[in-house]
Amino acid sequence: MLLSRESSGGRWRTRPDGMEKVTGTLQYLTDMSAEGMLTGRVLRSHQAHARILALRTEKAAAVPGVHAVITHEDVPGLNGFGIALPHQPVFCEDRVRHTGDAIAAVAADSDEIAEYALSLIEVDYELLPVITDPEEAMKEDSVLLHPEGNLLHHTEYRKGNPADAFAGCAYVAEETYFTPRQMHTYMETEGGLFIPEDNGRLTVYSATQHGLMDRKQLSRILAMPEESIRVVSSPIGGSFGGKDELNVQPYGALLALRTGKPVRLHNSRAESVRAGLKRHPMKIAMKTGCDKDGRLMAHQVRIVSDTGAYATLGTEVLNFATEHVMGPYMIEHMEIEGFCIYTNNGVSGEFRGFGGNQAIFAIEGQIDRLAEAAGIDPWEMRLRNLRRYGDPGPLGQPIVQTHGAMQVWEALAAIPLMAERKNGPGRDARDPWTVTGVGSAIAMHGAGLGYGIPDPAGGRLCLALDGKIEAVFGYEEFGQGLIATMEQMLIEQYGFDAGDLRIIIGDTDVVPDSGSSTASRATSMMWMALRRLHPDFTARLAEAAESASGGVSGLTPGPGGMWKEGKLILSYADLARTLNEPIVCETVFHYPTTPHERVGAHFLYTYSSIAVKVEVNLLTGRVRIVDQYHAVAAGPVANPQGYLGQIEGGSGMAVGFTLTEDALMNAGSYVTKNLDTYIIPTIADMSGIQVEAIEDLPEHDTYGPRGVGEIGSVNLAPAVASAIFQAVGKRVTRLPIEPEFLQETPFIPQKAVNANVG
Amino acid sequence: MLDKYAANPGDRDNLPESARDAEENRCALGGAEAMQGMPNNPDCADASLPAEPGETLITLSCRINGQPVTAEVPPSRRLLTVLREEFGLTGTKRSCELGRCGACMVLIDGRPVNSCLTMAYQCEGAGITTIEGLSGGGLHPVQQAFLEEGGFQCGYCTPGMVISVVALLSENPKPAPEEVEEALSGNLCRCTGYGGIMRAVNKAIEKGVG
Repeated sequence: MLLSRESSGGRWRTRPDGMEKVTGTLQYLTDMSAEGMLTGRVLRSHQAHARILALRTEKAAAVPGVHAVITHEDVPGLNGFGIALPHQPVFCEDRVRHTGDAIAAVAADSDEIAEYALSLIEVDYELLPVITDPEEAMKEDSVLLHPEGNLLHHTEYRKGNPADAFAGCAYVAEETYFTPRQMHTYMETEGGLFIPEDNGRLTVYSATQHGLMDRKQLSRILAMPEESIRVVSSPIGGSFGGKDELNVQPYGALLALRTGKPVRLHNSRAESVRAGLKRHPMKIAMKTGCDKDGRLMAHQVRIVSDTGAYATLGTEVLNFATEHVMGPYMIEHMEIEGFCIYTNNGVSGEFRGFGGNQAIFAIEGQIDRLAEAAGIDPWEMRLRNLRRYGDPGPLGQPIVQTHGAMQVWEALAAIPLMAERKNGPGRDARDPWTVTGVGSAIAMHGAGLGYGIPDPAGGRLCLALDGKIEAVFGYEEFGQGLIATMEQMLIEQYGFDAGDLRIIIGDTDVVPDSGSSTASRATSMMWMALRRLHPDFTARLAEAAESASGGVSGLTPGPGGMWKEGKLILSYADLARTLNEPIVCETVFHYPTTPHERVGAHFLYTYSSIAVKVEVNLLTGRVRIVDQYHAVAAGPVANPQGYLGQIEGGSGMAVGFTLTEDALMNAGSYVTKNLDTYIIPTIADMSGIQVEAIEDLPEHDTYGPRGVGEIGSVNLAPAVASAIFQAVGKRVTRLPIEPEFLQETPFIPQKAVNANVG
Repeated sequence: MLDKYAANPGDRDNLPESARDAEENRCALGGAEAMQGMPNNPDCADASLPAEPGETLITLSCRINGQPVTAEVPPSRRLLTVLREEFGLTGTKRSCELGRCGACMVLIDGRPVNSCLTMAYQCEGAGITTIEGLSGGGLHPVQQAFLEEGGFQCGYCTPGMVISVVALLSENPKPAPEEVEEALSGNLCRCTGYGGIMRAVNKAIEKGVG
């Protein structure tokens, strides 16, 4: 079904958080203020790599209006953070490893005073060699950035005998692909309000994708019990993976506890660029071979990923990339190796697609090259190698079987744009410098955190004493529409009316551990949780209603209350009045995982195919994407507006990844510091996108709707590269695609030169 | 006054223009050798410079969302800060602070303006409309269109986006698609890919908002 408001009928709903968003009344956590609050600011290293010889804060502390200046000496607990490996210093003590490293923080009466105080903090540095190239960092004689070396993580996957298999290949493609340091560019920069409470507790109002993880990390840093910290973490002005890790929270928390006053921090865009995470730049070298009929026989891959100064989720992202470099193809002989390397660059971390975007760009490029060599239509080439129902996962692991890969392949094969592709490049005689081409690509993408990683799920339903049906989950709303999807599921699965509901998320004092709102997992987990809760919660409601209504049995929940035979018998409010305690049902479970014992290996996958039409302007070298068609197989559509929005939005982000976005660094400092030079797509860069949702799942499938937060962003780049090749015959190996690469020297000046010579 | 910006040439791009000019001169004198004891210089969050002791405040008199208001502010304070901090109008959002993203857009005498690039003193006598002022008597039709079509996700760009659309349609009730693109290309959205926004704008045009 092509998704649209019209095709969705009554399932297209107004978002519950919409009214506050369109009227500007929604209070984001960076909009909050408190009586007597101070402004916090962080001093960041302006050396990419140096020893700290001395640090003098006295002058700053003496400024009138400054309430606290804190450094590493003021961290009561662990001076480190990191979801997977907590080794990024809250405050650097004796060494800085990138220009985002924090050295001190100030709380003052105003932003101006805080900024002035920061300028008075003196740091003596002894400069160390700055390592910006991961491959330099891998050399044996390189300076070590961490005691354990510069290699954060190494991956390997071997199958069959690639060396022999290559010898038997009719065609071999060898290429090295480069992907950019993409920035999340959430419109709301990091920040929040930190309030030391009278009872000794601390309340943190600051965005994250997993409130309970922030609480755990803060507990370690502050040496405070987790129960003494309340993290309120939604609503959020965009995240895309970028706010999952701690950012301003340690500084706000420490300053609030030190001063005993509320402290607000809100990063400037420049500081957000400097200290915030980016997508891992990867260099992916591939050698891939096929037989004369285009059947893939051997695949050799080497991934080098730049994690910057610290780990955060560099290991996990590399695991993901390693699992996705073979795409949805069955290849008998493979040798894959990955390296995640520390450098003095900005820290790379979690970002929508999670290493898939880089891997899929590379493997799809290989298929196109081999198809050309073998003289086979590139879409046909994919079909010959595509996984079928029953095939094991990319690492040989058992996975949830669907027909997704074939479904998206077939869906795309049937569209007019793919028929147009057969016509070859398009030229318009009136505009000879513009050439068009059509290209396509396919992807499978894992969801959930993968084998061996705690991936809890669960939630709570409750009939509260005021008659509201409460749904309480530990998830976060950063724009994706999670609250709207939850509301829609409650209405469709239980028959409630929107007005019956109170959805509570993003507050560690009240939510159960539902796991993180990451990895395209929350939609699946909400759906499964509500399914698990359904028998018990509806039975408990019916039981209570029977007793409250004087013995009417067989009542079922519906809009406004409990119903029987098409009639409302008892409202939820009336039912609640008869209760002494709320009716509470809770479920605790785990994201489904493959039994295959390989850390990070996935069990649930979604599938996507994309066709695009591009215009390449040969004079400017600019590429315009004029048409896009996405076919997505991710199970039933839980929320049509949300689904469409995720694919369109993911695609927008991928347009930037492909054409314009790269947070450039020079000698460890960001050169692109703000949105004047870091160019994300505007409305003028986006064309209409058609999204076909393939909802069919095998009959026995019990996993329901899959999340679509990432799948829309992972395979646009190779489709564009393919279209560019059709248009101008050039193979793209490096993203974003530089205009210079596509510019052609006009023949007229050439002629003029010749004439002059003559 | 500007000494605090002097020592870190790497951050010059973040300075307000005036400070940057001063900075150019200082850096020419050799800021680079100052490695030891180098006062650091954070990225500049607020283009308004600290009020010097005794700096004269101005009395800003203008209308905000139809209400006459006055405020004592440093003349260099940005309208964005005045709206958010003095008047609690946090619907106007802070994002890039250099006029690129449009999250802080408001109407000044009916024209869309980035409030991060507007100084308080420039607003004397002006009529300012923020997102909060659009919906005084129920939702503005543009807001209604955004709500129905899902022209938002995280919502952080939405106030500025809605302001831009209102300004466009009041000037040009039936804009061509290229005119919509032109009018909204100063408003960045990172969530939607602009699909929902385009649908909302088309809906508003259809309904004849202008």
